[in-house]
This record gives sequence, C-alpha cells and structure tokens, in this order.
Amino acid sequence: MTLMEMAQKGQENPLFTMIAQNEQMKVQLLMERVATGQIVIPYNLHHQPKRAQGFGLGLSTKVSASIGLDNDEDLLADELFKVDEAMRAGTHAIMDLSTAGNIDEARRTIIERVPLPLGSLPIYQAFAEAVRTKGSALALEPEDFFRVMERQAADGVDFMALHSALHTGLLQTAKEDRRVLNLVSRGGSLLMGWMIYHHRENFLYTMFDRILEIAKKHEVTLSLADAMRPGAGADSLCRSQAEELVVLGELVKRSREAGVQIMIKGPGHTPPQQIAATVKLEKQVCQGAPYFVFGPVSTDVAPGYDEITAAIGGAMAGAAGADILCYVTPAEHIAYPNAQDVYRGVVASRIAAHVADLAKGYPGAEQWDLQMSQARREQNVEAQKRLALAQERLKDFHSSAKPFCNKCQTGCAMAVAGEFFQELPWEC
Amino acid sequence: MTQLIKARAGIITPEVERLAKEEGFRAEELAEKVAQGRVVIMKNKLRRNSVAIAVGEGLRTKVNANIGTSPDCVDFKDELYKIRVAEAAGADAIMELSTGGDIDAFRRTVLAATAIPVGSVPTYQAGMESISKNGSVVGMKVEDMFEMIERQAADGIDFMAIHSALNRSILERLKNQGRITDIVSRGGAFLTGWMFHNDQENPLYTQFDRVLEICKKYDVTLSIGDAIRPGCIEDSLDRAQVQGVIVAGELVKRALEAGVQVMVEGPGHVPLDQIPATILLQKQLCHHVPYYILGNLVTDIAPGYDHITAAIGATTAAISGANFICYVTPAEHLRLPTAEDVHAGVIATRIATHAADLVNGVKGAREWDLAMARARKALDWDKQIELAIDPPTARRIRGERNAEGDEACSMCGGFCAMKVVGEYLGTTEGSC
Repeated sequence: MTLMEMAQKGQENPLFTMIAQNEQMKVQLLMERVATGQIVIPYNLHHQPKRAQGFGLGLSTKVSASIGLDNDEDLLADELFKVDEAMRAGTHAIMDLSTAGNIDEARRTIIERVPLPLGSLPIYQAFAEAVRTKGSALALEPEDFFRVMERQAADGVDFMALHSALHTGLLQTAKEDRRVLNLVSRGGSLLMGWMIYHHRENFLYTMFDRILEIAKKHEVTLSLADAMRPGAGADSLCRSQAEELVVLGELVKRSREAGVQIMIKGPGHTPPQQIAATVKLEKQVCQGAPYFVFGPVSTDVAPGYDEITAAIGGAMAGAAGADILCYVTPAEHIAYPNAQDVYRGVVASRIAAHVADLAKGYPGAEQWDLQMSQARREQNVEAQKRLALAQERLKDFHSSAKPFCNKCQTGCAMAVAGEFFQELPWEC
Repeated sequence: MTQLIKARAGIITPEVERLAKEEGFRAEELAEKVAQGRVVIMKNKLRRNSVAIAVGEGLRTKVNANIGTSPDCVDFKDELYKIRVAEAAGADAIMELSTGGDIDAFRRTVLAATAIPVGSVPTYQAGMESISKNGSVVGMKVEDMFEMIERQAADGIDFMAIHSALNRSILERLKNQGRITDIVSRGGAFLTGWMFHNDQENPLYTQFDRVLEICKKYDVTLSIGDAIRPGCIEDSLDRAQVQGVIVAGELVKRALEAGVQVMVEGPGHVPLDQIPATILLQKQLCHHVPYYILGNLVTDIAPGYDHITAAIGATTAAISGANFICYVTPAEHLRLPTAEDVHAGVIATRIATHAADLVNGVKGAREWDLAMARARKALDWDKQIELAIDPPTARRIRGERNAEGDEACSMCGGFCAMKVVGEYLGTTEGSC
C-alpha cells in the first residue's frame, strides 16, 4: 500500500506522526491532506530517509538543492562536498542531476549519505547512456528509459522529475508562441529533439501508466517537470506554459487515482507581478498539488546575483502558496556552481522560504523573529549567533556589548531614553 | 526659489527639462508632479558640481548608500573609497553620516568629490559636537541644533534627514505600546534622551518653521526622519509608528505650504504581507510625497544576509509605491560595512528596485530584461556581461570557470538545451 492509500484508509503510521509533530500539525489533518494529494511525503521504500519531509499545504516552505556530475572528469568527492555544504546550509532535499561519469555510483553513494529526500531526473541518465552505448541521444528507446527509471527507483530515489506533459501538440504551440527563449529545460529540450527527429510522441506522456506502476511499486513521488518553463521574464505565462499546465493537471488526476504521490514543478523566470497568479493558477488547475518552483527568478539582468533575484521571487511565490523552492545559485546563467555557490544558494532560498512562512502564518515562524529581536534588545550576542539562520558571516560580529560608551560625561542620551523604556540603552 | 516654487509658478527648470527626458516624461508632466509635491528634485542650490536626481511617483526607483566615519573608526580615505565603490555600483545618492573626526572637513571633501546628491543627518554631528563642547549629547543647545542644520545646508548638502516627527505624545504611545525594540533610529534616540533629560519638547518639532526656513533658503530637500521606525518584525505597524506617520503628514503639509521640497522616511523591519499597507498608509497620510525607506527588512533572523532580506522587502515596497530605497548591507546588525559590503548592498538594492521598475512600467526596465534574454538566446557572452547589473562580477565568475570561446554556457556542458534543440530543429543562433 502506498502512503497515499494508507492516508486514504486512515491508517496512521510513525512517519505521519513524526512529520505532523515536526510541523506542528494535527496528524489527522496531515493524513487528510496526504490522502487528497495536497501534501506529499517523498519516501522511497528502499531509502526511507531518516529526516523525511512533507511538502504542501500548511507545512513550512522547503528548499531543495541540485548537484551532480556534469563532466566525466568531475570528481565524485567534489559533488559529495557540495551535498555536505547544502545540508550544512540547511537544505530540506537534494537532487542528483548527474549526466556524466559513473552515474549509478554517484547516486548510490549520495542516497546512502543523505538522510533527506533525494530526487533525480532519470531522463538525464537515460540520454547519457544512449550517447555512451549507442552513440547518440537520438538512439534512445523507450525501454532504455524505463530500465533506468526502474534502476533508480530500486536504488531508493525518493522523487523523480519527469517531463510527462510534453506532447506534440505542445511543440506546435511552442513554435507559434515565438518565445524569446524557446526551451531552457534541459530534459525537455532533449525529449523535444527526440520527438521531432523520430516523428514520435513523447513516451513519458503516452506510457504514463508504466511510470505510475514503477512509482507505486517503490513509493516514488512524481515531480512532474515543466518542459515549457519560461527562460525569460518576457516569456512568462505564455500559451505554451499554460497549455502544459493544463496537461499537468490531467496527469495529477491520473496519478492520484493510482494512489501515487505527485507534485508539480514550476518556473523559472517570472516578473514579480506575475508570480502570485502563476502559483494560484497551478494550485487551481492541478487541484492543490504541491508546487515546486525554480526560483522564481524575478528579473533577467543580474547574472552573478541570481540567488538574490530568486530569493525575491521565492519569497513572493512562497507567500502565494508555493511549497518548495529549488535553489538558484550566484553561478546561475554563468557557470557550474561550486561548493560556495551551493551554500549561498541554499541560504538565500531558506531566507525566502522563511519570509514566506512569516507571510503564511506558519506556526513558530514569527516566534523565531521575536526571539532574535529580544536578543538584540538585550544585546545578547551569543543568542543572536545561535538564532541566526546561517552562521557563515558572524565571525566578525561587533561584540562590544558594553551598555555605556562613556563619551558623554554629564549624562548619556541613550541611558535616559533607555530608562524611560526600561531597556538597555544604545551605544552612540 | 525652490524647485517646488518654480514648478508651481510654471517655470520649467533646466533640471526638470533634463530629468523629464531621462525618465521618459514631458517636462510639463514632471513639473506638474514637482508642483504637487509627488516628485522632488534633489539639489542644493549652492552645489555647483552635482547632477540633480528626481525621486517620486512614476519615476525609476532610486537607491541610496550610507557611508561615514564613527568615533572609533576615522579613516577618511577609506570612506571616500566606499563612496567611489557605491557610485561605481550604481548608487543614485549617498548619505554622509560621519560621527568621528573632523566632520566639517570630511563633508566638504565629499561634496567636492562626488557628483551625485549627498544627504546627511545634522543631529549626529550636533550631538558629537555637544559631547566635546558640553560634555554630552543631552547637553545640546537648541541654537546649536539649528546652527548645524544651517552649516550643513550652506556647505551644499542636498537632502537632510531631520527627526521633526517626534514628540512627547508619540513617545508616550511608544511606551504604552510595549515594543520589543523601542527606538532603533540613532538620531531618534539622541533626541528622545535629550527631551527627557531636559524635560522639553523636541525643538525640531516645536520650531519646525525654522527647519523649513533653512531648507527653503538652500532648496534642501527635507527628509522627515523616522525616529520611531520599527526595529523588528513584531513592532511593525504598531500604534506608535502610525502616530509617527500622522505627525509626519502634518509636517509634510506645512512644508508643502512653505514651498519646501519634502519626502518622508520609513521603516525598517516589516513582514512581507504588511509592506503594501505600510506604504499605502504613508502615501495617504503624507499627501503622496515621495517615500524613502530602509530595506524593508522582511525578517530578523538572517544577520550576515540582510542585503537579501532587504532586497526581498524593497521589491514589494517599490511595487507598492516606495520611491527611494536606502540600501542594507550584509554587515547590517553586525558591524560597520566594508567597501565590499557597500558594493554588495548597492547591487542587491538595485536588483530589487529594477524588479519593481519592471512591474511599475518604468521606461527602459522591460527593454533591459528583453535585451538580456535575447543575448542569452544568441549565446552572446560579451553582450550578456555588458548588460549584467554588475558586469565585473559576471565577467569574473565566468572567467574563472570557463574556457575562452566556449559557446555553450557551462551550466549544461555537453547537454546544453539551446544547442541540442537548435541542432535538432536546424534553426539559427544555436537555438530553436
């Protein structure tokens, strides 16, 4: 029985209890929402992450960090260090997007190392293997893909991104849309190339039932990807994006009928005023399925600082109802992120997620801010350090917490003001 | 005559003429907004070497960077370097907030060294001078407070934060409220201490007409200081803050009647969902004069990353109508900012104001994003770096990690989406 089916039958289990406790939600409510698909708990039977997470309505906004081997020369040790940095910065999930090197080994090592939900894009490995064994990505056969998906599921991947809503009708729309940047989704682009070359329909779409079977067997949560994700602010909420969302909504329905947990991936480049509408549209069309957004990147013009453009968008998206934020690093659009970029990306996304939690009224979010402010009022530097969201930049904290600076001999303005309010005065 | 009085008289000044062109308005339209007080033209009439900027409704959102010495850290060269860094990063104005060393000499050096508008908080220097003259900040003489405003105005300061919207009634409300962080404005705390120690009302409030006279004489833009801005999320939009805005609104009305250009300073720490209400309230109560805010910082818990908490808040604030954003650096709540912090603060704030300008339909904003998107489509790296908000940083990150002449962005390596689809579809520019 899948988690969704258990929740539908009202069978409480330790996983539901733990997550409900962590999130300060009544377990009955959590189970109701898992049952209807408004909350997902990625939890592959072969991984069973110790720090399992729920994503969805009423839970805290989560952050996911992507890493992976990109070149045959890349060292697994470097990627593992990035995984450690992402966890040190407080990520709630990791995605292994390896497309080169020993992909199986990388995934298995990471799954063993990571007590958090682990995601993947099986189509990357399927295409990479087709290039390696058959000489071209175009030589991929659907059966090759399903073998990879089965292998990854058996290894313990908790959630998988799949471009199942891409289909030939959408290709035509995309062509007519004349977007500035047609396709920025890597998996989507590869599939599109395959479809055009072979004049065949996308097997992730036509054979969706087989995907559901594998997912059900291993308790893999589906994370349906948006092949039409806008890559520029100007392309946001275009017809192809909307049309894909409609298909995604249909697939959500089928997935839920099969008892398979499902969430939806979203943009991408979205100007600030379109973010709330984008999130609401997904929530309506996809019947409340948890929304996993990439940023959103709120302007195109700041390469080198896209952790900030994404934190702006992420805070707005989270406040509007997005449930999990895929981090964006300062290296986005320019280079492959290093370990420091990974750390910074996670911290920026966590700030956005927390700001969203404040806006959503998530239990405890306001309390955290309050404690920090009280520590500031008391000039308690140690408490401020302990409460800080990230410890990285606190080394040179100005720690002279002396209440009086002794510059004024005949009375201190700060002390007078402080006396009136009965709190420790300022330093001038 | 101030820009405001001239605009009311139907005079199109050279500044209005130039700025209207820059911002995509007809000169008459901009002059009309100046006449209504919805736009200010910042330029002290004695300042010869500077270029005025316009701040207000419908215009590009502007960014301010604070610099200045402290008594423990007096290094003029270092502060001048920070000004250069702020200007190079694209700051529209700076505030010179020195409290240490020969403040007069430094201010004059700064005014000569930069061409962008310079602001100040005269109460800081008045307080510091009172320490050496009278032994304490609370020993400040009323005459000295006004002399300082006049001295700084005569030197050419373009805009001044003056904490006139602080009085006993506000402080009583503040005490009654029971805030977490009572007063986080330094100038506000100086004056509060002074008021209680001397058992007097705030002279900058009771003798507001004297403030107006000086501002009018030099066409200094008056920035009504936010003495009781909230210092944490919990304190946002409390009764004391609202009372402060009400008093500020009354003073705005008097300033406009006197022909003085005026704007109002605002918070501070504000949770994301309260930002639009905060801005709207200020705009309504303060006759739609420009709103100059700090941040807004949308959460308290990220010391070391407050340029990001502030960028999130500034975007929503500027969309909601804030016109002028004071930067927040990664050093906020920790220490005085270094030059590197100044750079990071200005860039983060510019990202936020630009994201808001996109929404507000500011001339050129969308075109900039579109040009970047087209450069990405064309895999034109030189163009992408040229268009980047901070070209040196974009160039450095790319240069460190990528081989020369690599046409695909290295994000996707051999699996570049643009390249793959471009090849399959046989379209030009390496893209579908």
